[in-house]
Amino acid sequence: MENIKHLTSEQITQDLFPRKFGKLGMLWTGILLLVAALGLYAYYRQLRYGLIVTNMRDYVSWGIYISNFVFFVAISLVGSLITAVFRLTKVEWSTPLTRIAEIIAVSAIVFASLIIVIDMGRPERFMNLALHGRIQSPIMWDVIVICTYFFISILLLYFPLLPDLQIMLKYKEKSSNALNKLYRFQGSFWKGTPEQFKISDRAINILCILIVPVAFSIHTVTSWLFATTYRPGWDSTNFGAYFISGAFLVGSGAVVVAMYVFRKAYQLENYITEKHFEKMGRVVVLLALLYLYFNINEYLVPAFKMKKAEEVHLMGLFSGEFAPLFWTAIMIGMIIPIFVLIFKSGRKPLPMFIVGCMVVLGAWFKRYLIVTPTLLHPFLPMQDVPASYHHYFPSWEEWAIAGGSMAGVLLVITFFVRIYPIIPIHETIEENEKHTQNQD
Amino acid sequence: MKNILKTRISFLLVLCLMVSVLSISAQDTVKAEPSVKLRYFVNNNNIQYLMVKSVIGKKLLPLPMKVVNVYLDSAGADNLIIKTTTDKIGKAIVFIPVAFQEKWKSNAKHNFIAVMEGATPEEEVTAELEITKSKIEIDTSSSEDGVRTITVKVMFYENNTWVPAPDVEMRVGVSRLGGILSAGDAETYTTDSTGSVSVEFKRDSLAGDLQGNYILAAKVEDNDSYGNLLVEKTVPWGVAYEPDTTFFSLRTLWTTQFRAPYWLLFMAYSIVLGVWGTMIYLIRQMWKIKKLGDAVGK
Repeated sequence: MENIKHLTSEQITQDLFPRKFGKLGMLWTGILLLVAALGLYAYYRQLRYGLIVTNMRDYVSWGIYISNFVFFVAISLVGSLITAVFRLTKVEWSTPLTRIAEIIAVSAIVFASLIIVIDMGRPERFMNLALHGRIQSPIMWDVIVICTYFFISILLLYFPLLPDLQIMLKYKEKSSNALNKLYRFQGSFWKGTPEQFKISDRAINILCILIVPVAFSIHTVTSWLFATTYRPGWDSTNFGAYFISGAFLVGSGAVVVAMYVFRKAYQLENYITEKHFEKMGRVVVLLALLYLYFNINEYLVPAFKMKKAEEVHLMGLFSGEFAPLFWTAIMIGMIIPIFVLIFKSGRKPLPMFIVGCMVVLGAWFKRYLIVTPTLLHPFLPMQDVPASYHHYFPSWEEWAIAGGSMAGVLLVITFFVRIYPIIPIHETIEENEKHTQNQD
Repeated sequence: MKNILKTRISFLLVLCLMVSVLSISAQDTVKAEPSVKLRYFVNNNNIQYLMVKSVIGKKLLPLPMKVVNVYLDSAGADNLIIKTTTDKIGKAIVFIPVAFQEKWKSNAKHNFIAVMEGATPEEEVTAELEITKSKIEIDTSSSEDGVRTITVKVMFYENNTWVPAPDVEMRVGVSRLGGILSAGDAETYTTDSTGSVSVEFKRDSLAGDLQGNYILAAKVEDNDSYGNLLVEKTVPWGVAYEPDTTFFSLRTLWTTQFRAPYWLLFMAYSIVLGVWGTMIYLIRQMWKIKKLGDAVGK
């Protein structure tokens, strides 16, 4: 608030109002659309020719689609951390970050759901889940909890947006007719009366309380998809906590990256300040340490026992086929971020951005390593199968679809930023006024 | 005095150390010798085969992927039954080909010779196994008072005729879990002068298959003259097995969708209803906000 105390409400509105894409924005959107289109074409090929266009076979039946799914579910958890946990614990500095976190959560959870349908090969069979689904199955729990989390996240995005919609309608000359129509449809009824604020604040508080257990459930249940299957590398009681700690880390990393990009692209230095990076740096280092702790548990304990089936799997990770990827994921996903961020100079915007990128990339590798090597090391030996079944490397269609889904997530965020203020205008003005009054 | 004592202790320590080092070196220099083992099997009097094992050292550890030539009666090109390679656990199964039928019939006794190839002819390893052709028969009978008896007869071939084989030790019982559950009280039985063994069957309440059948078996193991003989016979002496289908009607985590446990249904639906109920309440609150706004607008 120190940086904006001299700014008027008009100026804050001016700064935070959604803006048209510049040249760079157009280029960025164009590239994303191109990647998404390529993904769609690859999916068309998969629908037409079947899952044979992928390199998934009898053993590796979960490839990068499911790695992507776990990654998206993980990243979506940040909505509950920054919006809900920080709000409930009255962490005031998180205000400019809440909407960034929420839109990351919503877009990621949408594509997590889509990628599961893509992985099915026959999307119309999704109906079978409704018709013949078993409540005993963690897959069923996952579907239920993902839908629930999506709707809670939408509500948590929508309620705080209402006062901002009123502001945007007030400055209708700044937006196109189509956008004004959308704003009117979504929020013309918001008049900012004390009763409306009272109901809205109460609703937001209820949502913040509700989203925390649902967020924990979503990732715990996702971890159970693996942990309830008796396989080397998945047979663990540690998986729920391990997944959740990793999810908070990657989500925070993604928020740091988004903070830096929005700050640079929209000149938001007064709103997303170095203090925010400093605070988020502390959050990320804490979460990286926590995730490292769970990783040590997850690998050291089975490695100490070295049961025969686990040995093949673990040695594949530690020194075998997957070792370069494994150690890269550990280094860039945890070790380097910890060493960079424990120093104050490491918590400056640019190093934080680089570390955020590393955390996100490392997290994607980690999800791939959780899914694929285990499938290549079943308890019963692989016999009488083609040589290609012993290895897995995604086909170009798989890469294109996975890339397309990533582009889809980024497109949702990009278009959201084009339409709505990424930093809550009303809350920023309100907090600024409160801060100024307190100082007076 | 002290110095002398110290010198002696030091000398003893050095001596012990040297002895230990020497004994370890000596152990290292003992080279583990490879060897080849032969076993002969006859199953139900019609399938004869040999098991060849390539091993090494005193502990007979498997020696994988070794080439072994197996001959009948003498090591020569005409008598080569097969040139085989042992598998990764050092084993190979060798059947006697049809081409050897005449040679096989010509004698009552045969000598199998296995020659394991080495890097040089000097490193070849040979093993021999002499067997006498034999057969084993199993028969059953029941007395009027319900006592069941298994009779097993072992005979060997001599001068174109089958002669009873006395003093042959064997196991007689029911084939169960890959082994033989003894039919009587004794673990093994030995043939008498008529080459026969009679065993009173004492396993009355043993479970059979769906029809109550199980397999009786008599097995001679590693006999010096006859090798390994096995004969089997299916008898309807068991208690018919009735599969327990009540499992499928239980409410468990792994049954069909309509048989979910009540506790799970209660928990799952309570959580779903609780969370979605709250969300419906919040949507109603949204509606309330809309009505309030519309009222102000008017």
